Amino acid sequence: MNDFFTVSIIIATLASGIRLAVPFLLAALGEAVGQRAGVLNLGVEGVMLIGAFAAYYTALETGSASFGLLMGLVVGAAMGLIYAFITVVMHAEQGISGIGIYLFGLGFTDLLFQKQVGTPRPISGLQTKPFDWLANDTGRAGELLFSHTVLTYVAFLLVPVVYWLITRTTFGLNVRAVGENPQAADTLGVSVNGIRTAAIIIGNTMAGLAGAALALEIGIFQQNLTAGRGFIAIALVYFGAWRPVGVMTGSLLFGIVSATVLQLQVQDVISGSVSSIANMAPAVLTVIVLVVVSRRIGQPAALTRPFTRDG
Amino acid sequence: MLEMRGITKRFPGVVANEDVDFTVLPGQVHTLLGENGAGKSTLVKILYGLYQPDEGSIAFDGSPVNIDSPSVAIRTGIGMIHQHFMLVDTLTVAENVALGLGKPLGVNNLQPIRRRIREVSEEFGLHVDPDTYIWQMAVGERQRAEILKALYRNVRLLVLDEPTAVLTPPEVTDLFVTLRQLTSDGRGLVFISHKLNEVMEISDEITVLRDGRVSGRTTPSESDRGSLAMMMVGRPVEFARTIAEQTPGEAKLEVQDLRVRGDRDELAVHDVSIDVRAGEIVGIVGVSGNGQRELAEAIMGLREIESGQVSIDGQPVKTPTPKHVRSMGLAYVPEERMKFGSVGDFSVAENLVLVEHDQAPYVRYGILSLKAIEERSRQLVSDYSIRTPSTATLTRKLSGGNIQKVVIAREFSGGAGVLLVAQPTRGVDIGAAEYIHEQLLVQRSQGKAILLISEDLDEVMALSDRLVVMYEGRVMGRMNREEATIEQVGLLMSGVGEPEGAAVGG
Amino acid sequence: MKPRLVFRLFLALLAVFSLAVAGCGNDDDAPSGPAPATEAPAPATEAPAPTEAPTEAPAPEPEEPFRVAVVAPSASNDLAFTQSMYDAVNSLVASGQIAEFAITDGTFIVEDAAAAIRGYADEGYHLVIAHGSQYGGPLEEIAPDFPDVSFAWGTAVDTFGLPNVYSYSVRSDLGGYVNGVVAAQLTESNVIGVVGPIEVGDAKLYVDGFAAGATAQNPDVEVNIVYTGSFADVALAAEAAQSHISAGADVLTGSAQMVVGATGVAQENGVLWFGTQANQTALGEDIVVASQVYRWEVVLSKVVDQVKAGTLGGETFIMTFEDGGLDIQFNDVMDIPADVLASAQATIDGLSDGSISTGQ
Repeated sequence: MNDFFTVSIIIATLASGIRLAVPFLLAALGEAVGQRAGVLNLGVEGVMLIGAFAAYYTALETGSASFGLLMGLVVGAAMGLIYAFITVVMHAEQGISGIGIYLFGLGFTDLLFQKQVGTPRPISGLQTKPFDWLANDTGRAGELLFSHTVLTYVAFLLVPVVYWLITRTTFGLNVRAVGENPQAADTLGVSVNGIRTAAIIIGNTMAGLAGAALALEIGIFQQNLTAGRGFIAIALVYFGAWRPVGVMTGSLLFGIVSATVLQLQVQDVISGSVSSIANMAPAVLTVIVLVVVSRRIGQPAALTRPFTRDG
Repeated sequence: MLEMRGITKRFPGVVANEDVDFTVLPGQVHTLLGENGAGKSTLVKILYGLYQPDEGSIAFDGSPVNIDSPSVAIRTGIGMIHQHFMLVDTLTVAENVALGLGKPLGVNNLQPIRRRIREVSEEFGLHVDPDTYIWQMAVGERQRAEILKALYRNVRLLVLDEPTAVLTPPEVTDLFVTLRQLTSDGRGLVFISHKLNEVMEISDEITVLRDGRVSGRTTPSESDRGSLAMMMVGRPVEFARTIAEQTPGEAKLEVQDLRVRGDRDELAVHDVSIDVRAGEIVGIVGVSGNGQRELAEAIMGLREIESGQVSIDGQPVKTPTPKHVRSMGLAYVPEERMKFGSVGDFSVAENLVLVEHDQAPYVRYGILSLKAIEERSRQLVSDYSIRTPSTATLTRKLSGGNIQKVVIAREFSGGAGVLLVAQPTRGVDIGAAEYIHEQLLVQRSQGKAILLISEDLDEVMALSDRLVVMYEGRVMGRMNREEATIEQVGLLMSGVGEPEGAAVGG
Repeated sequence: MKPRLVFRLFLALLAVFSLAVAGCGNDDDAPSGPAPATEAPAPATEAPAPTEAPTEAPAPEPEEPFRVAVVAPSASNDLAFTQSMYDAVNSLVASGQIAEFAITDGTFIVEDAAAAIRGYADEGYHLVIAHGSQYGGPLEEIAPDFPDVSFAWGTAVDTFGLPNVYSYSVRSDLGGYVNGVVAAQLTESNVIGVVGPIEVGDAKLYVDGFAAGATAQNPDVEVNIVYTGSFADVALAAEAAQSHISAGADVLTGSAQMVVGATGVAQENGVLWFGTQANQTALGEDIVVASQVYRWEVVLSKVVDQVKAGTLGGETFIMTFEDGGLDIQFNDVMDIPADVLASAQATIDGLSDGSISTGQ
């Protein structure tokens, strides 16, 4: 029974961890962009829920998962506009506003789901596997690398894209500047509010995408579908020290630990009360890492600080 | 090249600028002089597009301009060096220069920017490396990076807001050389300061502001420090103080081989020994950030002492907590009066009894005696000529000078034999500063031992019996007032010379 | 100052809207509750009510319209725990035993549930059902404050010694055992996977019963059990199912509302599924073999009768196959061999007459 250490089981567990990491990665990458611009969004969870419902409902009604994906992105961007209005234009306290967005997303998706869908109805999700043809010819490593759905590749491709965006483009330079010293950026003619709005919209669009990826991967929606993933994504931004590669490392670690705990139970390595404790392992691990690595190096200096010219 | 005419700017309840005219000619250094709150900053913020004037017009090179944002100012050819540097610490010099330049959606190519920075840096002798991160740079270097940022944008008029406030005397000399080089190319400079010596040295023309209006225009050759101060304050100001000769008594405060760590766990105070006797003022000078704050906090019991000993009245401090240290006879005027010296949302009366509020007669059986507090605070308000509408006014509504007087009244009136006074006149208007200096001398004549920590070299030189110069946490030198010269102290402040190792008491 | 004010207004609006949303969910259900009552064949108890004085007796008069409220943790259409109670109350409304029915669902926060329970008792509902084992603590405090109101709490077996509290539970291990017996006959790989939420209460009973049934039917069958640690995490349930399949499972089962994630994976991989708490055939007609269904109306009907007769509590009901509170519903569309169906019935009979034990 205890054959956890066979190669195929390990491959399957790692693949499972990669799938679990995708929503974390998408949401945390987006949140990192917003935070680099100095805006904290605690509402990621709410935006993910809204994105997930939009994608699910659109796919359910139209039968097209791609169209659902598009809707997830669109409502994510729309939530970004709303959040930018609240925090950038109105200078609202970011922590409280984010919680407001979360409560709104939780309640609103629940209401719409009850009214429009009722009972959970399965949809055919986004199951395109673009590199599946490679998986068969490349053995077990191929299975690990090439057997995923298209959104998984999108998520991991976004890591270098976001890195490049932040470090190599004029926009990224502006993002970093307004996150560190908005007054300085302002005196050089950089539109602080404009850059922050753009960063928030990017972040929320990615949160919407994260929700859509979740709903389309499992092909169903239910109240509180995201089950706290948005909040963990925020923790992973700190974990990853605001760097895309760090965020990816954290997401993968979290996903793989979760998958390992499941697989260890399947293999009967752990069971009973041990498994209840083991289920907490990813969260506990995150807390430990956050405490140990709490150097806060790399935290944008102007994070959560609204920008006004009067300083 | 610049003509500002009839500029008026109102904020709710205040007229910050009223009908101000201000012109700058090419190749000229035009100084804006005035006390805090006189309207200098508002005027240059209008010039830089950060504020919009309610009335008035601005012309640049003879044609009217409407500057409604910093980017318009930059395009017009106006640059500004802010008092608090507008640099992003986590970016390199080149990245800071690149900010706001490229196309919003473009790829950020720093190569040509680096090359240009090297050229400009060489041309003006600024010695700035484009790939250094700002956080790695010293204050003087950062200022040069700021100037470089403006020069890169081909500014023709450069505004410098209190550029010397953070510099050591040798750095000031270097800065003035650079400024002269800039004007020789036909650029115009607006220089903002309240340090009269510097103003006399660098200016071609001087405009003095008081309460938002122009109170005088002059040139250094037509004026002296006294006449400038008169224009700033509106009444004659006494500069030359006569300090009565008196023989100091016994050592009241003794600091021996003190080692203290700073906020980032670095060694901020390095084996410093100082003693202060009754009836003398010992001044500690140094550029801010060289361990003075940590030294004061350690003496006061606010910061952990790694090794060494502090004694008050010959008694070693055994439990270094503020309460215990105060009970041993030490009073403290901290450097940030709003942050540590007073509670902004408390009334003047409450702040005046903040230290003694737990003692009779202000409290009986645990209940505050409002009557006693009121009597005491009225007395102090009149003794220390604190200008406040009433003792119930919230402290944060007072001017900086009056808040400082509240703190000083509380600390000086408490009967403590040792006074630890940090930056007592920073950001305080000339009138209040003059008064505070007077009070320090009164305390000295009453036989108090005073340790004065200040960045204002003139202040320390004018008041202290003895000077101690600190640099990077170490004592660089000690001297009596009569021996000290500005040049010598300036060099010590910038670290030229041999620091004391494990020093013996001075 | 001004933008701050505008923002506060905005925040207030947002809060009001969120509340409206939460409230809406319930308002929305409330009319759908009593609605069937009007459609149902008119009950005899309807007419005389207005003439009766409500102050007359502490125990509700039979003639007075009998009002029931339900407070439940998940959505009323979750195809699982809450829906099973929702359907039960509606069926008693249809039969005329209950005149009026209100529900507050989705109260996974216990404090919210406590407020709802107190609210219904205060409004004079005759029977308030606290449908969640986590609601025991608040109920123990609330019930003594309303001696004239009857409370029912489940799934639980404790009435706190209070005269106005009923508790109800279900032997979900029985249906689990039957599902296990059937599953063991349908597996070809002899590997079966279980996706559980947290190892407590009803879910643990079901999982343990299932494992006992499967291994009793065929000792060579390997039952792998995973608890995801969450009742809500659909995605984790999906990955748990995936892990089972990668370990060779060709039959899966699971308990609680997050199993909708697992059924999706089962569907995708053509793996059979056994449901519990409600009929889950709708989640996949090709794969759902059978579901254990709770018929809370059996308990509820007894409770309502006793309350009407003046006994407000003090008893615990545990549903089994015998009293009709448990039922195994097979998928009509699926072609299930007759001998398998027969073995299921034989198992039900054996569990009822005591010749078979689930080990619980």
